[in-house]
Amino acid sequence: MAEQDDILALEHLGKTFRVGFWGTKVQAVRDVSLVLKRGESLGYLGPNGSGKTTSIKCILSLIQPTVGKIRLFGADPSNAAARARVGYLPEAPYFYDYLTPREVLDYVGKLYGLDGSTRKKRIPMLLDRLGLSHAMDRELRGFSKGMLQRVGIAQSLLSDPDLLIYDEPLSGLDPIGRKEVRELMAELRREGKSLFFSSHVLTDIETLCDAVCILDRGEVVAQGRLSDLLRMDKLESEALVELPLDTLETAKARLLALPGVELTEELGPVLRLRLPTDVVPGLTAAVVDARATLRELSQHRDSLEELFVQKAVHMVSSDGQRAPKAGSPE
Amino acid sequence: MSVQTTHDKLTLRIDGPVAAFSRIFTVAGNTLREAGRNKLFFGLLGVTILMLIFSVLLSDLALADQKIRLVTDFGLAVIPLVCIATAVLLGAVLLYKEIDRKTLYAILPKPIRRSEFLLGKFLGLSLLLFGQLILLAVCWAGVLHLRGGTFSMALAQALGLNYIEILLVTSAALFFSALSRPVLSGVLTLGVFLVGRITYVINDLMQATKGAFAEVPAMRALGRVLVAIVPDLSTFNIADELQAGVSLPPDYFVHATLYGLSWVGFFVALSLIVFERRDLV
Repeated sequence: MAEQDDILALEHLGKTFRVGFWGTKVQAVRDVSLVLKRGESLGYLGPNGSGKTTSIKCILSLIQPTVGKIRLFGADPSNAAARARVGYLPEAPYFYDYLTPREVLDYVGKLYGLDGSTRKKRIPMLLDRLGLSHAMDRELRGFSKGMLQRVGIAQSLLSDPDLLIYDEPLSGLDPIGRKEVRELMAELRREGKSLFFSSHVLTDIETLCDAVCILDRGEVVAQGRLSDLLRMDKLESEALVELPLDTLETAKARLLALPGVELTEELGPVLRLRLPTDVVPGLTAAVVDARATLRELSQHRDSLEELFVQKAVHMVSSDGQRAPKAGSPE
Repeated sequence: MSVQTTHDKLTLRIDGPVAAFSRIFTVAGNTLREAGRNKLFFGLLGVTILMLIFSVLLSDLALADQKIRLVTDFGLAVIPLVCIATAVLLGAVLLYKEIDRKTLYAILPKPIRRSEFLLGKFLGLSLLLFGQLILLAVCWAGVLHLRGGTFSMALAQALGLNYIEILLVTSAALFFSALSRPVLSGVLTLGVFLVGRITYVINDLMQATKGAFAEVPAMRALGRVLVAIVPDLSTFNIADELQAGVSLPPDYFVHATLYGLSWVGFFVALSLIVFERRDLV
């Protein structure tokens, strides 16, 4: 039963490309394993060149994995019936620019084997849902990136798929467009669609996903449910304290001597501290004793951005360049 | 029989030969539509029509009994060449454009097989070339009529064989397009056409008692390889026979058509093998 609920499973997926005149091997993806269950939403994160798009292309049978196995609705991705249950939005989608949105969707609908009356009914409905009803008969060549993105999303929904695979769905959209697409994706989740999407906009992933998989140079560096990864159950607080200049060092030492208190930032006499929430009463007492001022006190939890930076940008040299990983072809 | 995949409220017809043919025709229709907007295509078409009209003026310079012959020969020479040029130019970029413009990435994840997509592209271009040939033939017939000539059955048969040659060159372009970048695939397709047109000459040179092809072993080996791997396109060119008034037996057309379609099948099959395995990075 559990396996029936697995609509997408990657097992030790790896892809090696040969590049350049001498055919140098470059491992774009290595040993990626993950499972997406029915109704779940998974965010696929990673810096540029980390292998996100390569993995997605493997899932959709656009490229063949060098090693590993992919199961899409229990079948190989080369199976057209399995792909029929997927709605895909490519990164920076391009369509035939001499067609109108209505014609693009009609073309896609024919490939899905939708009959004429269904296409006639669904196409204007979807274009309207994506805010394109005013432009459905205009050629795509004059469209902005954001409008093309909407056409891309509309075509991905045409067959009413069970799984949506979106590669950077929010890129190229203006703030209003992003909000609308985010709301649409949330709505699709509520309708029971499973979502697998890559994004650089971490707050969107935090809002829309149950789980994340973070890639760095082709490898999984963190994976799991957001609640586990972000330690949501661990209560921490953050305090901004301004110390008196005459007793700066002694006051600082006193505060840092409290159990679990960690200095995260120091700007002259102003300290940013992180501490367990149960130490907050002790901190306020120490602040009063040291004649310091408590400027700010807030509840803290790890953000996805912190996790992403911590896991993906793990080695930064002094000149700001990311150091190559051992065994990396780079 | 078409198998229906019931999918929530929507019914997707994706299995069975009817659905497969429908997808092939959908891609063909779009290819036809795209190629039909190609400025190069219309440019070539326009120039050729002007040249056919010009042949009427040119024929005024010919002797009285040669006027019709000049227009006939001109059409026989120019029409296939223009269609071949269109096949090379459009065929060489047939798949590359889809990959370069990333339009393929939105299409192939749909429930369409790569073979269906490729056959659709080939069918679309073949139909466009057929339309081009028919249009030029109509113009040619009009020009012949102006000169007092008639568009005979023999001329129609010659154009029919020319179309087989055009299909063959298109399939070669499709194969090279699946394998390499446009310039290289254009050059290779042109190579197949040029060598194919002179295969009979190479054969004659190898059978001669003197000359490089007869005396130098390396040249002889090269000649043998070329004759073996390149189709003999002179089979489809019966202009000389028409000019000499030689009538060809009906089975010649049958054999030539079968020979040409075999090569078309061979190139399309190779294209399918290459495209099926290609990583679309």
